[in-house]
Amino acid sequence: MGQNVAVPFLLLIEDDDSIRTALELSLSRQGHKVATAATGEDGLKLLREQRPDLIVLDVMLPGIDGFEVCRRIRRTDQLPIILLTARSDDIDVVVGLESGADDYVVKPVQGRVLDARIRAVLRRGERESTDSATFGSLVIDRSAMTVTKNGEDLQLTPTELRLLLELSRRPGQALSRQQLLRLVWEHDYLGDSRLVDACVQRLRAKVEDVPSSPTLIRTVRGVGYRLDVPA
Amino acid sequence: MSGAARRAARAVPGAGPRWTSLRLRLVVVFALVALTAAVSASGIAYWLNREAVLTRTQDSALNDFRQEMQNRAAALPPRPTEEELRRTAEQMSSGGVGYGVVLLGERAKGKPIAGVSDPDRFTMDDVPQELRAAVNKRQEVTSNNAYPYHLFWQRTTRDGTPYLVGGTRIVGGGPTGYMFKSLEAERQDLNSLAWSLGIATALALIGSALLAQAAATTVLKPVHRLGEAARRLGEGELDTRLRVSGTDELAELSRTFNSAAESLQKKVADMSSREESSRRFVADMSHELRTPLTALTAVTEVLEEEEDSLDPMIAPAVKLVVSETRRLNTLVENLMEVTRFDAGTARLVLDDVDVADQVTACVDARAWLDAVELDAERGIMARLDPRRLDVILANLIGNALKHGGSPVRVSVRTADADLFIEVRDHGPGIPEDVLPHVFDRFYKASASRPRSEGSGLGLSIAMENALIHGGDITAANSPDGDGAVFVLRLPRDASRTADGRGEEREGDGDEGA
Repeated sequence: MGQNVAVPFLLLIEDDDSIRTALELSLSRQGHKVATAATGEDGLKLLREQRPDLIVLDVMLPGIDGFEVCRRIRRTDQLPIILLTARSDDIDVVVGLESGADDYVVKPVQGRVLDARIRAVLRRGERESTDSATFGSLVIDRSAMTVTKNGEDLQLTPTELRLLLELSRRPGQALSRQQLLRLVWEHDYLGDSRLVDACVQRLRAKVEDVPSSPTLIRTVRGVGYRLDVPA
Repeated sequence: MSGAARRAARAVPGAGPRWTSLRLRLVVVFALVALTAAVSASGIAYWLNREAVLTRTQDSALNDFRQEMQNRAAALPPRPTEEELRRTAEQMSSGGVGYGVVLLGERAKGKPIAGVSDPDRFTMDDVPQELRAAVNKRQEVTSNNAYPYHLFWQRTTRDGTPYLVGGTRIVGGGPTGYMFKSLEAERQDLNSLAWSLGIATALALIGSALLAQAAATTVLKPVHRLGEAARRLGEGELDTRLRVSGTDELAELSRTFNSAAESLQKKVADMSSREESSRRFVADMSHELRTPLTALTAVTEVLEEEEDSLDPMIAPAVKLVVSETRRLNTLVENLMEVTRFDAGTARLVLDDVDVADQVTACVDARAWLDAVELDAERGIMARLDPRRLDVILANLIGNALKHGGSPVRVSVRTADADLFIEVRDHGPGIPEDVLPHVFDRFYKASASRPRSEGSGLGLSIAMENALIHGGDITAANSPDGDGAVFVLRLPRDASRTADGRGEEREGDGDEGA
């Protein structure tokens, strides 16, 4: 990623004119550069043309919906996506997280909260240290912010990368979902633990040899997750 | 049918007494009827038979005796010897009928002699005094009574064996004769008859009991089915119907049950569809409200930030718009929460949390730390939905602060598999008539009370959130009269009690080996 410019460039995809206008106004005032699109198709086109740092994506869209937009972006791109959902209905959240979103906010959302989430997501791409670590065939280069498996570069979203970094910083030690929500998502004590579960699933799909029987990122029942050093 | 069997097994405590009453009553009534009929029939039959048998035996014996008396005893000389008497008695008794004979005569005036056919079996001592008296009594000879002496008889028993004793005098002088006939054979016949009749009665009794069982079964089976169906209907299985066969009263009852169930089902369906549509309306409405609210919320912040630079005449208006937008937000949020509970779409997102941390964070996040005393040890872990716990706590503590005043005391303790969080205030408490309604939606303690700042849904949402965990909340007044006490009970592992309502997401299976 590494595109941590001073003014984050966001793409807002939202079909309702009032909400789009209001959020654009609010986010601009928070110091973001905002491009907007009213449909998923327009949004995907804008994404290719303008290369934003992050996408704020409404779920309920005419034409292809937010989940589908999310899935299409993930096929080629690992940039952060925050879902804007009108419903906190659980099925929506689960589907959204499975389609590859990094975080979600529920409407009506306060501009400040959305801004905080955006900044937290963007911070995940920032490098912190300059060392590297090896876990079996997996090599995490913290200075280049890259992960390779068997010498091949893995395409990780900033959230997945940050989750892997946090786990790799404490190898063999179990981290609870709430801890991970604080460390990776910078959520308060009410963070949705499904964010962690969904992200772990996606990460396993990329780093594990057999994602359904993981050897690196293990579930610790009643606690959370830990990264194991393969024997 | 295994389900039905299980239900039936569960209903056993109620079925026991019911089984005895009707079935037992039927059996008893049938048995009584059968017993009465059989006993009276056999009684009459026995009695008639007994009389017929005895009379026949007796008549033949007595007739034979009379004949023998006339033929043999009357032929004796007026002063017979003892030997003659004995011989005659033996001759008389050797007839086909088989009785013993005693002949009494007089050898000389005042010198009675007796001739006994079989002294081992029968002597004069066996003849009852009354019979002797009757035989020796001279009858008045009238137009109705041609003879001074008659043949008398009596039934007696000796050593448990029944005997017929008869006696007479020869008219116009001659010996007095007594005959002694054993009725043992007749008694045996009658006894075996009585036995047969007794067995027949017993058989009738058993048969009637079996019949009663069968009758009870044919009646009780439909009754049982009806009861079972009524119970299922009561449990909410409104599509329960009975199979109607036949045209008897029970079939009619089944038909009535079916039509009642049908109309009930229709009514319930009508009601629930009406309720469903009104619920949908509320759900849709709150969804629709969200779109303008989202836009409003986003811009109110912009307005808020500009408040200081606004015209002092405009600033209060802006402030009002901002605060009312927030309130509208809360209201819609609560409305949505309630519709989710009503529609049954609310789900638990479970996580393992330290309860003390959650309580502290909840209080801290709302800047209540100064007004709340916490009595919670760290390290109490529970598996629950942290967001829902926060909603419950925020509502309970917020309510206590609003109505009870600070300090509010929150204490956490555990007992067995349950977690108890007590929220106690020091306010005036809750009036007794309000207490049962505190968890009702939009319940206002009195119409005159000012509109509360809350949505009127807070405690009801708290209760719903506790229920979905498999827990509950109880409201009471402190026994010492100092404020109200709300106790939240939650299972420490909601994934077990919430019975599949919670999302199970430990299914990664990587720890399976």
